[in-house]
Amino acid sequence: MAERSQQEVWRLTPWLVVILLLGNFVLMAFDARIDGGQRVIRIWAQTAADFVQSPVTTVSSGVSGYFASIANLRSAQDENDLLQERIQQLEVEKQGLQDLVRENERLRGLLDLKEDGTFKVVFARIIGRDPNVWFDSAIIDIGSLAGVKLNMPIVTDGGLVGRVTAVGPLSSQIDLITRDKSGLGAVVGEISESTALGVVSGTSDRNVVVMRYVSGSTEVQPGQVVYTTGQDGIYPGGLKVGEVVEVESGSATTPHIIYIRPGAALGSMHEVGVLLYEPPPRSDFEKAVPNATPTPRP
Amino acid sequence: MDNLKITLALIAAVLLQWTMRNVAEPLAYIDFPLIVVVYAALQRNAIRAIFFGTFAGLAVDALSGGLLGASGFTKTLVAYLVSELARRVYLDNLLLRIPVLAGASLIDDLTYYGVHRLLGQEPVGQVFVVTAYSLIGTTIVGTMLYIMLDHFMSERARPRRRDSFSSRRQTRRRNPIRLGK
Repeated sequence: MAERSQQEVWRLTPWLVVILLLGNFVLMAFDARIDGGQRVIRIWAQTAADFVQSPVTTVSSGVSGYFASIANLRSAQDENDLLQERIQQLEVEKQGLQDLVRENERLRGLLDLKEDGTFKVVFARIIGRDPNVWFDSAIIDIGSLAGVKLNMPIVTDGGLVGRVTAVGPLSSQIDLITRDKSGLGAVVGEISESTALGVVSGTSDRNVVVMRYVSGSTEVQPGQVVYTTGQDGIYPGGLKVGEVVEVESGSATTPHIIYIRPGAALGSMHEVGVLLYEPPPRSDFEKAVPNATPTPRP
Repeated sequence: MDNLKITLALIAAVLLQWTMRNVAEPLAYIDFPLIVVVYAALQRNAIRAIFFGTFAGLAVDALSGGLLGASGFTKTLVAYLVSELARRVYLDNLLLRIPVLAGASLIDDLTYYGVHRLLGQEPVGQVFVVTAYSLIGTTIVGTMLYIMLDHFMSERARPRRRDSFSSRRQTRRRNPIRLGK
């Protein structure tokens, strides 16, 4: 009798597998179609995980900080020698100080938005990273209760990090700009001075993003800084994206392909700022398909 | 009792997967839920292993930037393949479980990458690098965890092994050929 029931179980198993695989596939297909929305299951899971991730992050930060301080003590002598050399280097780097001061003022101007009144910055701690090694999203410790909304931009002092893709009451999930689906409008150089406009998206390389559709007739050099334009309807203009590291030159008929190293340290950030920025509402025509023509009014 | 223990092990594995990457980036290459799912599949309880695969996969997907259901899909598939293998081949030896776990990790990663590409998503990272690191990390940690899990889960296994050993010796003593001599 027991042997027979075991055989029935083995006969049932392939059907069960097919049903579960189909269910998962339907979920995937549905999820792949969601454009700009957020998953309810993700919000609830995120809220549940928050109770585990926050203490673990606090404990691990404390432990790693303790060991780091011991390591620092042991290497104090070496560090002293290095600092002496560094002082020499700083004398040389003093020449470029003026540029750094200007850049610093500009970044402060971008981030010190509480006084500006257009949008505020709420600082958040990263409490979780993507559990799957194939993706690079992160979870921050503030949510809708702190005023966070879907698609709000995330920044650090280094530059743009990404945007909010799911919002729970106590935590939010963010997608980094290195993701292939994270297109953003950008310009090489200052917005008012450059015509090198294009779209930045992620690549399979974690440390590099790619900028496409920049006219091949414009001049782009490695080392130039890339900023957001604000035309994508998600990010405000003037946020630093990163620095050009390589240019596959185009021609009069083919665009450049520009590789950019993100300004923010995406792999090692612990705190970020959420820009409480909401883009201006788009008209119905703008929301329509890009090649739609406006219907004439009677 | 075994069901409860292995369910607790799976929940612990999911919690570890949620948190370990925040402790150190290389820990992301270890797939803790997959280790427990393969362990459950090796116990020859296919239905439990398959449900574990789906549950663990969806729990990971819920916090991941990837497609919801992708890990559920791959882990369900892996659980079924391993349980089918365990039904046909005797895999109670730890040394035999190592290549099974490595193969499971390989299938899991390649299927995960494949379904994302199929649905127009581009995972981050080079496929061979991520797959290789994941295979190495999961296999090494999984092997150590299997020793621990065997220790905690199979309280009855040791007496059973002792019984089988003693009965075999008894049989040899009663061998008619030897008695004939």
